[in-house]
Order: sequence, then structure tokens, then C-alpha cells
Amino acid sequence: MLTCKEVSFLASKKLDKKLTLREQIGFLFHMRICRLCRYYANDLKSLHLMMQKKGKTGRVLLSESTKLSEQSRARIKHAIDTVLSQ
Amino acid sequence: MTHELSLPEQWLPLYGDILFRYGVSRVRDSDIAEDLVQETLLAALKAKDNYIGQSSEKTWLIGILKHKIIDYFRKTSRENLQELDELSVAAEELGNDSFFNQKGSWLTNLSTWSKPEQSFEQEEFLAILEQCIERLSPHMAQLFILREVEDMSSEEICDVLSISTLNNLWVMLSRIRGQLRLCLDKNWINQ
Repeated sequence: MLTCKEVSFLASKKLDKKLTLREQIGFLFHMRICRLCRYYANDLKSLHLMMQKKGKTGRVLLSESTKLSEQSRARIKHAIDTVLSQ
Repeated sequence: MTHELSLPEQWLPLYGDILFRYGVSRVRDSDIAEDLVQETLLAALKAKDNYIGQSSEKTWLIGILKHKIIDYFRKTSRENLQELDELSVAAEELGNDSFFNQKGSWLTNLSTWSKPEQSFEQEEFLAILEQCIERLSPHMAQLFILREVEDMSSEEICDVLSISTLNNLWVMLSRIRGQLRLCLDKNWINQ
């Protein structure tokens, strides 16, 4: 019988790789009897799906207020202008 | 549909901030993200004659930036080769202590999120998520973003970040997800 600690690892690994048959059986058996692990696995899966969706829609996590500073903008502009004028 | 490029002088005003945000969210460092934006635009300048208009200008630029980011990760992870693997072992040894007792059972009585899909769309939730990611070490945050947002495979991530075994990667991801889940649980009041 797997411990909750082991099952929490499998709940995460499951999102990255297909579990081996042995792991899968141990995982499913534990999930049937353990409410906390069901909750935990559920949340990890929700988080995983949400992050994947963010990736697909191209929506970056940072807000629109994250911007290049004026100095760095000027620096980059200078670098581009230098190449363009060559 | 084919796309055309605007004048190179326009790239920085049009896409500078978008590229910067994309870079910061991946490498977790403003200075490095700035450098990567500059490298991207300079590389785009060199490559502009090869642009065949299959993707939009923005997608094309982000594509170049992605390569720059991967190059950056490869370079720095080789320099810090051992650090990351040591971290993973440390994470395994003491990491989950806070969650489990000695028998490996949950220490806390956790509940599950109700209707997470609704909250996930809220600006407030996204801000908290970003803060929770920010609290991870930069390495762990990079790893998490590559896996979840970029959807890179476990094998690719091990290669790019010089992680010695797949199992080490999964241990780290498990640890990261557990931490994020806890952080969201504690700070996300609207659930």
C-alpha cells in the first residue's frame, strides 16, 4: 500500500509521464480510499490544465504594467540604429 | 495568408514590451530579459530577408526569442550543472517534511478548490499565482514554466537544464506543484 507522500509524487508525475502499470494500480487503489489525496491530485490537475491553457493562448502571466525601462529601451534602440546605419 | 514585416525601426515600439514580458516570465530576471530582447531584435534584423510571411510578425519575433531563451538556459545550466541536481536531492530529503508525517500521511486536513476554472480567469488570481511563482527559487520557477507553459517534454527539459535523471526532474516538479498549491490555497481568498 502506497503512502500519501508517494501518491502525491505520482499525482504530479502523472502530469508529465504515463505511469507504469504498477504505479497506476497503486495510485488508483489509494485514491479510492483516501479523500485528501483525491483533493490534492484534483488541484494539481486543475493547476496543470490552467497553466497549459495560458501557454496555448499566449497569455503571459505578468500584467501589462511590466514594461521595458526607458533606459533599456534607449539602449536597445541605439543598438538597432547602429546596425541599421551600417 | 502571408504576412509582411513592418520597418525594423517599428519593432521595438510595437513589440518591445510584449517580448520583454515573455522573457521575464520565463527567465525570471529583468536584466537578462532585456538583453534577450535586444539579442532577439538584432537577430531578427539579420534574418529579416528570410522571413516568408507564414506567421505574423509578432509570432516570428517570439519564435526567435524562444530560441534565445533556450540558448540562455543551456548555457547557464551547464555552468550550474551540479547545483540543480543537488537541489533536487535536498528537495527529496527534506522537501515534503512539512506536508507529511513520518509514516508519509498528510499532516494537514486539506480541502479541494471549488470551481477553479472560474477563478483562474480573474486578474486577481493571476496576480497571486505570479507572486507564488515568484517565491520559488529562480531555477524552480524556470523549470515549472518550461514544463507547464512551454509544454516541453520531461526529456527536453532535462537536456536544456542539464538535469541528470528524469526522476530528479519529477521530484522537483512534484515539490514545486505542492508548494504552489499550498501558496495559492493560503493566499487566494476568493476561492
